[in-house]
Amino acid sequence: MTATTEKKPPAHAAPRPKGIAALKPHTTTLMVVGGVLTLLGSFLPWATFVLNKGPYPAQATLQNFTAPLASSGFRLHLVLFGIAAIVVALVKRIPARHRIARALGYGTIAVSVINGLWITVEGGGLGAITASEGSVAFGAIVALIGGIVLALASRVGDLEPVPEIGWKFNRWVEWLILLVVIVLLLLLVAAVLTSGGFGATATYAGAVFLSFLAALGGFLGALHAAGLLGWVNALFDRHRGYAVILLLVAALCLPLTSAGTEYWMTVATNIGVYAATAIGLNIVVGLAGLLDLGYVAFLGIGAFVAANLSGAAASAVGIHLPFPLVMVIAAVIAGIFGAIVGSPTLRVRGDYLAIVTLAFGEIFVRSAQNNIGGLTGGSNAIPGIPPVEAFGIGFDQALRIGPVSLPRGVLYYFLIVLLVAFVMAVFANLKYSRLGRAWIAIREDEDAARAMGIRTGPVKILAFLIGAMLAGLAGAIFAHKTATVSYESFRFLESVTLLAAVVLGGMGTIPGAVLGASILFILPEKLREFADYRLLLFGIALVLIMRYRPQGLVPDAHRRAELVEEPEPIDTGGDKPTTREAVAP
Amino acid sequence: MSILMSQIVNGLILGSLIGLIALGYTMVYGIIQLINFAHGEVFMVGAYGAVGTATFVLPTAVTTQWWFLLPIMIVIGALVSMVVAILMERFAYRPLRNAPRLAPLITALGVSVALQEAVRVFYPEATAAIPFPSIFIPGALVLPIGDGVPIQYSGILIVVVALVLAFALNTFVEQTRLGRAMRATAQDRDVARLMGINPDRVIVLTFALGGALAGVAGVLYGNFYNFINIDMGFQNGIFAFTAAVLGGIGNIRGAVVGGLAIGLIKSLAGQYLPGGGAYDYVWIFVVLIAVLVFRPQGFFGETERVRA
Repeated sequence: MTATTEKKPPAHAAPRPKGIAALKPHTTTLMVVGGVLTLLGSFLPWATFVLNKGPYPAQATLQNFTAPLASSGFRLHLVLFGIAAIVVALVKRIPARHRIARALGYGTIAVSVINGLWITVEGGGLGAITASEGSVAFGAIVALIGGIVLALASRVGDLEPVPEIGWKFNRWVEWLILLVVIVLLLLLVAAVLTSGGFGATATYAGAVFLSFLAALGGFLGALHAAGLLGWVNALFDRHRGYAVILLLVAALCLPLTSAGTEYWMTVATNIGVYAATAIGLNIVVGLAGLLDLGYVAFLGIGAFVAANLSGAAASAVGIHLPFPLVMVIAAVIAGIFGAIVGSPTLRVRGDYLAIVTLAFGEIFVRSAQNNIGGLTGGSNAIPGIPPVEAFGIGFDQALRIGPVSLPRGVLYYFLIVLLVAFVMAVFANLKYSRLGRAWIAIREDEDAARAMGIRTGPVKILAFLIGAMLAGLAGAIFAHKTATVSYESFRFLESVTLLAAVVLGGMGTIPGAVLGASILFILPEKLREFADYRLLLFGIALVLIMRYRPQGLVPDAHRRAELVEEPEPIDTGGDKPTTREAVAP
Repeated sequence: MSILMSQIVNGLILGSLIGLIALGYTMVYGIIQLINFAHGEVFMVGAYGAVGTATFVLPTAVTTQWWFLLPIMIVIGALVSMVVAILMERFAYRPLRNAPRLAPLITALGVSVALQEAVRVFYPEATAAIPFPSIFIPGALVLPIGDGVPIQYSGILIVVVALVLAFALNTFVEQTRLGRAMRATAQDRDVARLMGINPDRVIVLTFALGGALAGVAGVLYGNFYNFINIDMGFQNGIFAFTAAVLGGIGNIRGAVVGGLAIGLIKSLAGQYLPGGGAYDYVWIFVVLIAVLVFRPQGFFGETERVRA
């Protein structure tokens, strides 16, 4: 969020077609019209008949929506969009009105397109939203037009820069505001997790989820445009320690929200495992700039070590050590392998290093597949790993504390939250330490770093070692949580997914890695309708991210300068980057 | 003795295929320093394009005559791969030409995943291995060594085609105007531009040539092994990359020799080294690591410092 304050080159820099420019005095009217159309669209029927898989959510099949106060789901979002647009249009004191209208317009467009498209596809053709047997349902189309009008209005009017809000309050007031923000964040996370539901009853889970995401994006965009997100961000920075503790507590409170069921706890735990691993990878790739294409092997090594020391019947070692000890051993062994994999960095650089790490990853998978030394179970995997136990409670059990009953798997969730917090702390401390600065120096220019007196060899190996240890820790929890460890969980594709999580989130930042891992591991969970297309979309997304937003969703300040462009003095087409550079704060 | 001989024969056949694919890797890396991870998928797509055409498009009367069907399939395989390679260059790599090096590498991974999945999702029943018609003369030539060493005719075809194509490519690069333009672009793109060469066109040509060779390799692979699957691109692509590195990246002769070496290593390691066939991949990766660490310029590469 810090860096999204980058300002786009003003839209009017390019010669605009006269037709749109003529509308300039009427932007307020346009915004009102867009808002009204959006409102109207939300109350019109969206489908002309009950779809094959049952009624579409939010009572979209009604002939006309008659109860404005009872609207829910995507219709509620549209109502909010419409009202917000009208308010923004009429209250001229709001700063950056056009920018807010743009976010609202894009949100409306996305919501109406997603739901309209879904109804069309599920209903078997455009007839589902336009006309069938004498009835009409123009909800999707009207809302879409409303959104387009809003976006158009913002395009015609000048896009203002994002305002910086400088409100400062008493410390206690600011703490209270932060508390409210974080509680809202917690509820939001729970809502995102559970939106659409799961299982056989949740027919339109994918549509509901995507629509919710789109609405969320629109609202957050509007808040950002109004400068509120930037202000909250500044608030976080001012009270960092307090905010971090609050965030941790909030994460531990997730089981108390609507996401507190066994299923969502499992999903959240899996996300946590990959988030912790992604942060570890972020040390290697994001900080030290060493591309590792076989990183998931360390997660695998940690998992197999834990499986073998867990007393599982199928393990070759057959000893049962206490879990904390197992975690330490898993981390140490993964770290040793990390140092081995990292040792070629002494001689190999760049792309070649990526290939070396890929080769190590493949060697690991092949060896695990062939049950090397009887340690990995081969294609039979290692099943039946007993759950972690502490104070006589198995971690796979439900928990009851007084009146509060928590679902099964909640203890693993707590464990992984603590692990992620630990990994974040390690990352944050390392990043600003002498070692972290050495990594960043190596990333920027290895020869220059060496000239500055950094012993590049040990420093690079340390990056691999620490990254691998963190992955090994995550692997130990992963083994106990899933109870079965198979080589199939650690294939090349998983490494690519982890790398994509780091890249998508933003290299070298903590929220980036967590956000990236969450997105990449929650989307397949939610979009089961597209299970077949999952990897196809993933591949295309990877290409598009690199093309349009290589710095990721939460870009690192250093990294951004480096990844956005590399001025090419001879290339005559190089004017565009310089404009962006000049505009960047 | 005959086991050793037949393993060597197998190795040479596989090695010729890998060499053909490695040519594409080595040319692309030589010219824009990109490890084109998706090149293996280009090889795979060629095989699927050819077998798809033979199954769904060509009339059955045509498909019974090998001397007619085989050239058609090879041409179609080459064309399909070439088109995919050109599109890939145009839409995925060209926009990133001046980006930091990590970006195109990750893009290549994305293209690789997307191509593989596109075939899996859209080609009928491609989730499992699909049969590839055996179109060349069936049977084998038996060498009178020991108990007799059979060499499949389709294997001989692979070796011959690979050597001929590699020789043709080498001649093209060394003796034609376009080949000189390619070498100039590889040495210094900006100076090449000043000399009146359009680097974009040369780069597209490189991708097209590499793609076509991979497509031919795909058809020959299917014809020899009689089945194709969507994983074949990734594995053979990695082998081919190893071969390209082994021979000295950017070096055409090196790629072929490297390919043959990798083929021999795989078949001999599968026979004689501990672990047997289950670990032959592992040995190739061990060789890859060893080469990258100890002799990154390969057998034939110049001893200039490897670009980082």
